[in-house]
Amino acid sequence: MSISDKYHAIRFAAVEKIEKIKEKPHVLVGTATCGRAAGALTILDVFREEADKHQLDVIIDEVGCMGYCYAEPLVVIAKPGFPALCYGPVDEGTARRLVADFLVNDDPCYDFAIAALEPNDEFPTFEDFPRGVIEKKIILADCGLIDPDDIDHYLARDGYAALAKVLEMEPYAVIEEIKSAKLRGRGGAGFPTGVKWERCFQAEGSPKYVICNADEGDPGAFMDRAILESNPHQLIEGLIIAAYAIQASTGYIYVRAEYPLAVARLRNAISQAREKGLLGDNILGSDFSFDVIIFQGSGAFVCGEETALIKSIEGKPGVPDHRPPYPATCGLYGKPTVINNVKTLSYVPHILRKGADWFRSIGTENSPGTAVFALAGKVVGTGLVEVPMGTTIRELVYDVGSGIKDDKMFKAVQIGGPSGGCLPESSLDLPIDFDSLQEAGAMMGSGGLVVLDEDDCMVEIARFFLDFTQKESCGKCTFCRLGTKQMLDILTDITQGKGSLEDLNILQDLAEDIKMGSLCSLGKTAPNPVLTTLKYFRDEYEAHINEGRCPALMCKDLITYIIIPEKCSKLCDVCIGSCPTEAIYTRPDMLKAIHLDKCVKCNNCMVACPPQYKAVIKVSPPIVEEKEETVEGGKEDE
Amino acid sequence: MSKVNITIDGQQYQVPAGEKLLWAALDCGVYIPHLCANKDKERPDASCRLCFVEIEGFDAPVTSCTQEVFEGMVVKTRTARVDRLVQTAFELLLSNHKLRCGKCPQNRQCELQKISRERKLKLKLTRLRPLLTEEKAVDDSTDVFIYDPNRCVLCGQCIWVDHKVVEVGAIGFINRGFKRKMGTFGDVPLAESRCTQCGECVKVCPVGALVFKEKTE
Amino acid sequence: MKGGEALELLAGELEQIQAETAEILQQHGTGRQELIPIIQEIQERLGYLPKPAMEQVARALDIPEVDVYSVATFYNQFRLNPPGKHQIKVCMGTACHMMGGHIVMDSFERRLEIKEGETTPDREFSLERVACVGCCALAPVVVVDEKVEAKVSPIRVDGILLTFEIEKKEQEKEQQEGGAEE
Repeated sequence: MSISDKYHAIRFAAVEKIEKIKEKPHVLVGTATCGRAAGALTILDVFREEADKHQLDVIIDEVGCMGYCYAEPLVVIAKPGFPALCYGPVDEGTARRLVADFLVNDDPCYDFAIAALEPNDEFPTFEDFPRGVIEKKIILADCGLIDPDDIDHYLARDGYAALAKVLEMEPYAVIEEIKSAKLRGRGGAGFPTGVKWERCFQAEGSPKYVICNADEGDPGAFMDRAILESNPHQLIEGLIIAAYAIQASTGYIYVRAEYPLAVARLRNAISQAREKGLLGDNILGSDFSFDVIIFQGSGAFVCGEETALIKSIEGKPGVPDHRPPYPATCGLYGKPTVINNVKTLSYVPHILRKGADWFRSIGTENSPGTAVFALAGKVVGTGLVEVPMGTTIRELVYDVGSGIKDDKMFKAVQIGGPSGGCLPESSLDLPIDFDSLQEAGAMMGSGGLVVLDEDDCMVEIARFFLDFTQKESCGKCTFCRLGTKQMLDILTDITQGKGSLEDLNILQDLAEDIKMGSLCSLGKTAPNPVLTTLKYFRDEYEAHINEGRCPALMCKDLITYIIIPEKCSKLCDVCIGSCPTEAIYTRPDMLKAIHLDKCVKCNNCMVACPPQYKAVIKVSPPIVEEKEETVEGGKEDE
Repeated sequence: MSKVNITIDGQQYQVPAGEKLLWAALDCGVYIPHLCANKDKERPDASCRLCFVEIEGFDAPVTSCTQEVFEGMVVKTRTARVDRLVQTAFELLLSNHKLRCGKCPQNRQCELQKISRERKLKLKLTRLRPLLTEEKAVDDSTDVFIYDPNRCVLCGQCIWVDHKVVEVGAIGFINRGFKRKMGTFGDVPLAESRCTQCGECVKVCPVGALVFKEKTE
Repeated sequence: MKGGEALELLAGELEQIQAETAEILQQHGTGRQELIPIIQEIQERLGYLPKPAMEQVARALDIPEVDVYSVATFYNQFRLNPPGKHQIKVCMGTACHMMGGHIVMDSFERRLEIKEGETTPDREFSLERVACVGCCALAPVVVVDEKVEAKVSPIRVDGILLTFEIEKKEQEKEQQEGGAEE
């Protein structure tokens, strides 16, 4: 049997199985980590119990993440005769209703539905909303719609077709196709993937290795986790193709140990692929043999750096080396090694199946394809989004993300995590691609995109990221080990109102030197959050220094919580109950007030104060307590 | 052995092909500051970040310990950018270093003092803040030498000698980031570790972190 | 208990550590690349990396003990002291931080009277920070014994701890009742 015959036999069996599923009502519950956090496992149980109770012949499957995090837990119901509908957020009551009304009877409960998955006459689809118009899903397309624990779901959607095609091509022709697609690495800086493969292909030494970097360490990004949990085979197929292109026989998936579900789903996917002859010796009957080892990263952000990741697999501390030599020529165990990010490899099967021209037709000339962002922070539609490169930040925040929460004012977006930067309102119309972001001082990084509003202090954001990189610095080189510590100390002083204007100059100089002088890209990019905030939000730094004031009312040392007597209702005690330190007391006139020395600024009372009063406010600069008042107030105990 | 022609600060030299620039320059009598460099290491550490130079045709300064010489290479050891980087790296090291040279047994034999002399850099902090706020305990448990972590610059020379030359395996880099230090298994005093007190690590310490006891008296 | 303090092993503990470690070592080769998977497994079984286990691993892989220690002290995952019965991990990712993760951390520190990275003296709770658990849309997030708690407020902190208190009291009561029956 030829390679393609073998593949078609496997695929045919899968399609038959899936067709059978489609004859029955099919319930898909999103149980990726994010769904679970929102209670998806309980919902899954409710569906199973209720279906049993009603003795229904339905199929209930766990799937990954569709990316609509704001609406978790998400459920898709496909019942023959109705369009497939997506519901969320689904609570236990809704789940029971859906079983009783839709599965037992024929009422699709449109009230609870978000959108339909396919065009129909009854209900709008995702494509009918602004987000759907802008989004262009390639690597997220099947996430949340296929069962990640069943390879047949992937096979039935043309999974592994690219692999079958590739195995009949010359390895170098595969590299040419990727080069012609101009695929750039989605791990951060956007290095051309085809060039990387070519260098490794041409390098002398054997065996060669391929490594998938799934050590997602950016503290605001979760797309790699979502992809691993939702569609592991897409990545595995990409990895096998990469291995074939450079003729490697062993591959590693370096995945964070903090992602236990991703590890479990990957393990299962790998063993299913082996069973089908898609991994292991003589893949699909060809001469090519390849297998994958899962390596669990032990929690070190610096291992996102290629040379550090390699050290880690070799059993050493993840301390980067000077490059060159690059891993493509001298990598794991000194052998030629290709290291690609999860997203990069996930594009590979699509490119080989649909061609380089198709891929280049999406996105911009120098950054073709799509960009995946984890949209988080003060935006309404948080979630995982995939848009063509060249989409503007404004479209991302306002159309895809449906704007800022609670009608607050937009202040900035933080793109690219600790290596990226904060871009202000004036950058809203910046088309996002690798080069434009770098020019603006940010970076694509791993694709974290946190939206910040008027309540977010830019100095504090810079301090937060510096604190992160400083803690994650491996400590090898002088600039990163000591330079980031110096910068962090200065920033901490400023957020506590103890900074000076001279500090800002030192901060700027240190940032520039660390950027130029550090050994690896963790250090070289660590100053970006500080440099961009200094550039675009210098006035906030100056307010902290000159006036002891935090304009966003965020820096704890520079604010005081007070209760406005005119707004406080005498009859309400909610704030007192909410206070963890008994700092709130009732004055003789029954109004409430806060002991400033006892207040730990936990924000509870502000949240607790009923919206009709909104009597608790924050002020900055902080109020210095007047002694007499405290004594008087302290006696109020009754 | 084949040779290549290079120019350092306007002077022409013939140096062995394949050599790293730092060693070539030092052999030619041109001083470039360095602490972590070790000719016998397979792959340079490049961790101290002091040996920066500028090379014609390169857009940024490079560390000379990692850069191989090539025919026609034109090197400048002192440019505004190089001086600024070296100064900052040097100040950063000082900011985490016990700065009482008069009381240090390595006074006048210290590489930091040499760099300060050669590059006219002050041996005190003017711009940066001192990071060595709590002094760490000095380990004087062995009969032969003391280890003062407050003077360590983390160049790694001692660990390399311990692992690769005398092959004892008593010391290593422990912890990460700002807390990275030279230490023993379980942080026990050296005398309780596998250390044989051969003193080879003391001989390669460029500063006053590892010092023979006879010198401290 | 603070991170750096040495720990006295209880009677029988050493034997158990050695037996478990030997069993894990048997399933692995002796190459250096086995080091991290081995100590990951040891920690999974024992909850932390006891000193005798690290010595045993070093002997098996024929590397200096200090090399095992270098790795164990480099990565966030590894613990050198036993954790509390309940592990509380507060997410300090970007989104969680912006949505008040640090306030949640403060609340746990105040309630448990320990700092991050420490264990309560009764070994009931240990408090850690994690970089990001990848649930940014549900910020601020806390992982309590592998269960992800979404949108945690300082009030919810009290609730989480109260649940454990009640659970503990019920268990004690059951034990007492069980004892009375005998």
